[in-house]
Amino acid sequence: MAEQNSAVLPRGAVREEFNNAIEKFRALLGGENVLVNADQLAPYNKVMMSVENAAHAASAALTATTVEQVQGVVRICNEHKIPIWTISTGRNFGYGSAAPIQRGQVILDLKKMNKIIKIDAEMCYALVEPGVTYGQLYDHITENKLPLMLSFSAPSAIAGPLGNTMDRGVGYTPYGEHFMMQCGMEVVLASGDIYRTGMGGVKGSNTWQIFKWGYGPTLDGMFTQANYGITTKMGFWLMPKPPVFKPFEVIFDNEEDIVEIVEILRPLRISGTIPNSVVIANVLWEAGSAHLRRSQYITEPGHTPDPILKKMQHDTGMGAWNLYAALYGTQEQVDADWKIVVDAFNKLGKGRIVTQKEAGDTQPFKYRAELMSGVPNLQEFGLYNWRGGGGSMWFAPVSEARGSECEKQARLAKRILHKYGLDYVAEFIVGPRDMHHVIDVLFDRTDAEETKRADACFNELLDEFEKEGYAVYRVNTRFQQRVAQSYGSVKRDVEHAIKRALDPNNILAPGRSGIDLDTYKKA
Amino acid sequence: MSDFLSGKVTKRMLFATVLPFALVTASIQAMADGQWGSGKNLYDKLCGLCHAPNVGVGPVIAGRGLPEAYIKSVVRNGLNAMPAFSASYIDDKSIGQVTEYLSSLPTPATQP
Ligand SMILES: Cc1cc2nc3c(=O)[nH]c(=O)nc-3n(C[C@H](O)[C@H](O)[C@H](O)COP(=O)(O)OP(=O)(O)OC[C@H]3O[C@@H](n4cnc5c(N)ncnc54)[C@H](O)[C@@H]3O)c2cc1C
Repeated sequence: MAEQNSAVLPRGAVREEFNNAIEKFRALLGGENVLVNADQLAPYNKVMMSVENAAHAASAALTATTVEQVQGVVRICNEHKIPIWTISTGRNFGYGSAAPIQRGQVILDLKKMNKIIKIDAEMCYALVEPGVTYGQLYDHITENKLPLMLSFSAPSAIAGPLGNTMDRGVGYTPYGEHFMMQCGMEVVLASGDIYRTGMGGVKGSNTWQIFKWGYGPTLDGMFTQANYGITTKMGFWLMPKPPVFKPFEVIFDNEEDIVEIVEILRPLRISGTIPNSVVIANVLWEAGSAHLRRSQYITEPGHTPDPILKKMQHDTGMGAWNLYAALYGTQEQVDADWKIVVDAFNKLGKGRIVTQKEAGDTQPFKYRAELMSGVPNLQEFGLYNWRGGGGSMWFAPVSEARGSECEKQARLAKRILHKYGLDYVAEFIVGPRDMHHVIDVLFDRTDAEETKRADACFNELLDEFEKEGYAVYRVNTRFQQRVAQSYGSVKRDVEHAIKRALDPNNILAPGRSGIDLDTYKKA
Repeated sequence: MSDFLSGKVTKRMLFATVLPFALVTASIQAMADGQWGSGKNLYDKLCGLCHAPNVGVGPVIAGRGLPEAYIKSVVRNGLNAMPAFSASYIDDKSIGQVTEYLSSLPTPATQP
């Protein structure tokens, strides 16, 4: 039995009560699946946010392998009022990683529940457990020569579809809006009941992964970015692997070009001519993923001045904006769509088109093409070499896919980041009607002063964007409570009413998206 | 054990390599024990995606004789951009296997 020496306790917990709960977890899961030693908990505490690790330290971590065990964990948590923070593959980098939102929460780690329950190559769907990674799915699909293609977040090889979808993450293929492609969930509720969404409640149904809506209220969305249940199975649709895949890049030299890029892109996206979740990456995003380091260009602290960005463009051929998209289908379809795309950019008279043939194996084209065709890699971690120091928080406001709006957001973000001596490292992604304006607030987390600045910067980004009517689609655990406020008080009241009904003891991830029965309204 | 670990690819990979009989048995034994099947599999599917010399995201780790304790410490705690991995993701046995595999690889031409 592991020695119990966790120095951390859940909020408001009494040591003896906590110890009793730990003993029950051991009886349920076996001692080796109840982690309380500092060295066992350290991996769950590696965060990239602008706050000390201690603020997000867990009191224990549990690894479960069956749905029955998850039910058992929930029962014990109710008995002892122990809050748990569930992770699936736990790779939520820049959004809180594997750490709990509040100090002292017990992590429920579902990585060991890693069965690919089913892949139906005819109906093109998968049903998986939480611990399944995209890398594992890729191997399974490749090994079995299934005519299917995955869509995943950039940390593809190591992240997983269930966790990513629970945080409403995105990918780069035509199936890149992952929650849109989700079909059927199994959720363990705080009561211990097992709830299946959609057609999943119908005895003998074979359409759980086929038809999303089922009958009556459709509640799947309610379990994402939320704390109303623990998802133990999830279905999602897979794209048939197209006979022809044609990735391309269009390079634009000037920052102002973003207006025209978005304007030209929108009709192509809405009509489905360009079917995938495209990326428009700025020069610094491009630089990071192509192995450039800030120290190669400048040693002074602070933001990187525009003339240096221009020099980088000049040296490397990178654009101020770099659009990555792809066409999928038969040769005839791709040829027809390619003509439309090329004509559109030719008409604009701007933008250098680069095809796979021209790019060869160069980065970042190579990894972008892989992401758009469902081949895992970890190339984008190169972003962290730009500044170094391991600090990263995604600031990801939603923008209309309208040129003037994207430009307005870009200018606003850049101004605020520069005020705090940080760089504007950004991409616009997804579409067709919206753009997730994803900005990597990169900072040196080993430098206390810079970390403090990054924290203030993130707050100001949230405040200033809110004044303009903008809000983020997702945020790291340090700022979830703050962002919940942007979305209005009625929404929060409803969310807490649901929480009271489903989880009256507030045991499931209190604080997630600002939903916490213990603190709401008391503040 | 997950589907892909017990999958054909891993087995083919192990059997395709010409190894003395004792080593083959040892590898099969390790495959049964370690979560990732073999050090090579773990390196190819995870570590190498950042650390392989031709990738260049993280420093080269192959052929440098890095001690197991050091590798384990970085894997468990992370380091700057390097994420931390819990034992549920990479078990101790697999860390041992990957350490051995890394030292069996050629020394990189230029040290990082
Ligand atoms: C370089 C880089 C690039 C990135 N690019 C992208 C990108 O392209 N797209 C993108 O979306 N993200 C991106 N990310 C962010 C993140 O790493 C991914 O979204 C990743 O997929 C999330 O981790 P995961 O899949 O392991 O999910 P997890 O960490 O397992 O889960 C995410 C969250 O969902 C909730 N959750 C998980 N499991 C359950 C469950 N069973 N029941 C209830 N709630 C649950 C928890 O709150 C958890 O924190 C990037 C990160 C980095 C460092």
